Amino acid sequence: MSTVLIPETASAAATMRRNFWLGVWRVMKRKPSRLAGVIIIAGFAFMGAFGPMFYPDQLPDDSNAITQAPSWAHWFGTDPQGRDVLALVITGSRYVLLSAAVTAVITVVFGTTLGLFSGFKRGRWDSVLMRITDMKLTIPGLPLLLVLAMVWKFGSPIQMGLVLGLLGWGGVARAVRAQTLSLRERGFIEAARGLGLSTRHIIGKELLPSMAPYIAMNMLIAVTGAVYAQVGLFFLGVLPYEANNWGVMLNLAVFQAGAMITPNALGYLLGPLLAILLLTLGIVLVVDAMDEIFNPRLREE
Amino acid sequence: MKRLAAVVALLGLATATACSSGSTNKSSSGGGGGLFTTIDVNRPGLDASAPANPYNPKGNSFSGFNAMRIAWVKNHLTDPNQALPGIAASWEIAPDNSAITLKLQPNAKWSDGKPVTAEDVKMSIGIAYTQGSTAFSVTPGAAGAAAEVTVVDNQTLKITQDMASPSPKFARGVLDTAVLPAHVWSSVLPADFWDKLKTARGDGAEAEKARTEITAIGQKVIAFAPPKDVSAGPFVLERVNPGEALLVKNKNFYNAAKVAPAQVKFLNYTGNEQIWNYLTAGKLDQSGFVAAPTDVMNRIKQGPGNEVIKGYSPVAVSMAFNQSKKPYDNVHVRRGLAYLIDRDQVTKVASPEGGTPAVTTSGIHQKAAQAWIPDTLPKLDPYKPDAAKAEAEFKSAGLTKKDGKWTLADGKPWKVSMHAPAGFSDWLSAQENIKSQLIKAGIDAEIQTSPDYPVYLEELAAGKYDVGFWLMALGPAPYDIFQRLYGASNGWTNVAGKIEHSPAGKNGNWMGGPEQIEVDGAKIDPGELTGKLNSANEEAAKPIMAQLAKAANQDLPVIQLWDYVNNQFVNNSRFTGWPHDDEILRLGTGVLASGVWIQLGMVKSKQ
Repeated sequence: MSTVLIPETASAAATMRRNFWLGVWRVMKRKPSRLAGVIIIAGFAFMGAFGPMFYPDQLPDDSNAITQAPSWAHWFGTDPQGRDVLALVITGSRYVLLSAAVTAVITVVFGTTLGLFSGFKRGRWDSVLMRITDMKLTIPGLPLLLVLAMVWKFGSPIQMGLVLGLLGWGGVARAVRAQTLSLRERGFIEAARGLGLSTRHIIGKELLPSMAPYIAMNMLIAVTGAVYAQVGLFFLGVLPYEANNWGVMLNLAVFQAGAMITPNALGYLLGPLLAILLLTLGIVLVVDAMDEIFNPRLREE
Repeated sequence: MKRLAAVVALLGLATATACSSGSTNKSSSGGGGGLFTTIDVNRPGLDASAPANPYNPKGNSFSGFNAMRIAWVKNHLTDPNQALPGIAASWEIAPDNSAITLKLQPNAKWSDGKPVTAEDVKMSIGIAYTQGSTAFSVTPGAAGAAAEVTVVDNQTLKITQDMASPSPKFARGVLDTAVLPAHVWSSVLPADFWDKLKTARGDGAEAEKARTEITAIGQKVIAFAPPKDVSAGPFVLERVNPGEALLVKNKNFYNAAKVAPAQVKFLNYTGNEQIWNYLTAGKLDQSGFVAAPTDVMNRIKQGPGNEVIKGYSPVAVSMAFNQSKKPYDNVHVRRGLAYLIDRDQVTKVASPEGGTPAVTTSGIHQKAAQAWIPDTLPKLDPYKPDAAKAEAEFKSAGLTKKDGKWTLADGKPWKVSMHAPAGFSDWLSAQENIKSQLIKAGIDAEIQTSPDYPVYLEELAAGKYDVGFWLMALGPAPYDIFQRLYGASNGWTNVAGKIEHSPAGKNGNWMGGPEQIEVDGAKIDPGELTGKLNSANEEAAKPIMAQLAKAANQDLPVIQLWDYVNNQFVNNSRFTGWPHDDEILRLGTGVLASGVWIQLGMVKSKQ
């Protein structure tokens, strides 16, 4: 990282970027599973962004084909309304993924800002902010969400993401502060201070890049956490009913269609379940790749 | 695909494990008649620490097994006062319904050997007053309330009705009362209870004070925990743990010789899917109505020894309108929707096993309608799905269709916003199907849920919803059937036998229908007519029912969607003799029918 201390020219920066992407490619190539992870994540992003556009607002239903087993026409069978389960999973992905993304962004932005500020400033600010963080960490998430769900409808994914994000930043803030406290005593930060570089430069160009991998990984993990939390809430039936929500689908598969008893409803259960599983898998694989990209010691040259 | 296969295999393993535990009840002890396994279908979740108290919401008191009533009221189509003998062996109802004389079972004994006396029954009636039942109520002007309880002799009681506001189902209210042992329970009622009751039934501040005191005793009753279960029923509670409640045969029961099982086990459950599991494994000897999708129903039928008995359930579900909201105030809009919605399809999707599509909107369950209004029923508009008629109705309501979408008369978009409580999966499923049908016809629609049923009813009554689902046709008493359409929810309240109408939005009037409806060229007041049903006998009730059915059919305060079916699950592997008679497949509220069948000696051990 100390290379950034040398004033950069445009071409040097470009070379660095090229080297970085080359490194990424090398890491990816070494384990094809990582590539699969990237493809999965890209697939989900595409599904969330464009998937619903391939279907009409009201999915076609068929009262003569309710709760059908998987077939060529319906890969995951049909739901108790005779709608294609795959179509429901795809159209329902936007809410889940968008709220998960919002959660991840809020968790990371909030947690990192607070952690960096706290760790770098130390002293009174640190004490106050960390006590607030401690207090936040003692609040149990699920019971609070259950209570909130009684008063708030969570109709839009942004709202859902906002609440989950505001509940989830505590851990990131603490970890980032710990990293900051350790890094700020290192030689290269001392040197930057000695050179009279501004605090903004030190935080933005010295500290933050060193923590980037950690933050990025946290962000991805926050996505899975957010997906579990909201699908769980919908599964419990405390949030408003929306036929294509993954949690609602899981709930209906078990409690209405009887997926634990009749094999016909198994597709209805597996559709959203596999989507969540696949998303988690994709994230785990990408996190594995990121770990190596950002951590030179793991690079097996 | 490998992952999928693994998951499937794992799930298969789980099902196999669930099945393998199903055969345990064959080996259990008890001798003689063996073990009868069932569930309390009215209450999910056993509470091991709850007392054997029939008034405690979690109480380990199973009506029909270790809790007795004066008699077991039947599910008759038209006569609410028919019943099977319980603690009363026989009874006589005065021709004008003014009194009922009970004759107790001569050999009835409590499980501790003491005889069941008329004093026990009188004290039980006192306790019923603290809880406010239909016959024993201190609410001023309540219809069908008792006036006097007299102990004639040790085996005989006479209860008279307060004829200021009589009800034809007074006897039902009396018979459907829990009987408790006075030597265990007498401490919950103060010595001057009956004097207090007399004061409470009067007027003025004194009466008001006495009523408050009686309500306070009611709280004590609910919390009362007898040191051990003393039962006059065929069984007595032995022990309860979180997984099951065990009852053993009461040797002192008056009909003990005919009681087949030696023991009864109530299994714990938290949701329907758990009952489905028990049933598919053939674990239960009997279970009351449990909603199940067709696939699950088929699996249950395939279970070893399983049989599903279908019977009459006096209740229907409807799509109800808040007529204070536009455009539902216009009868043509409601009629248009009735023509548009294919009820067969809705029922097929939402309640294929537990309901039959409503033949029309009459306000009465189709089976009871055959008995009440056989001549009127064929004359009612069946509202068969007809898109052209629907379109004509919408047009006459002033709605316009623009680019294939219906808009309100003032040009604003129209969205049918339907409400249901979360967890009512058949209602949600029905609304999902209706939504799809409406959207196909160019009407925008949405579904909104409320967290639970009490909140749903509260918000519905507060007029917050445009359209909601509403239970109706609650038989067998004719007044009960029509008060769901022309009762408090539509503005008519029955105060001390007088019917009063409140305007829309006041006193719980959320339906907001018109006070007068034109039927056959004459204006009628449906609430007034419904009130008359409260004191009319069967013959007098029939023409009123016909008029009200016509009113409901023309005015459509609701669209009747499907009439419920009572599915009883029984298993013929260990016991036989299950009744198939509609009238006794379903008994009074909270009564577990199988306990009554057992105590009457209908159920036989298969050996």
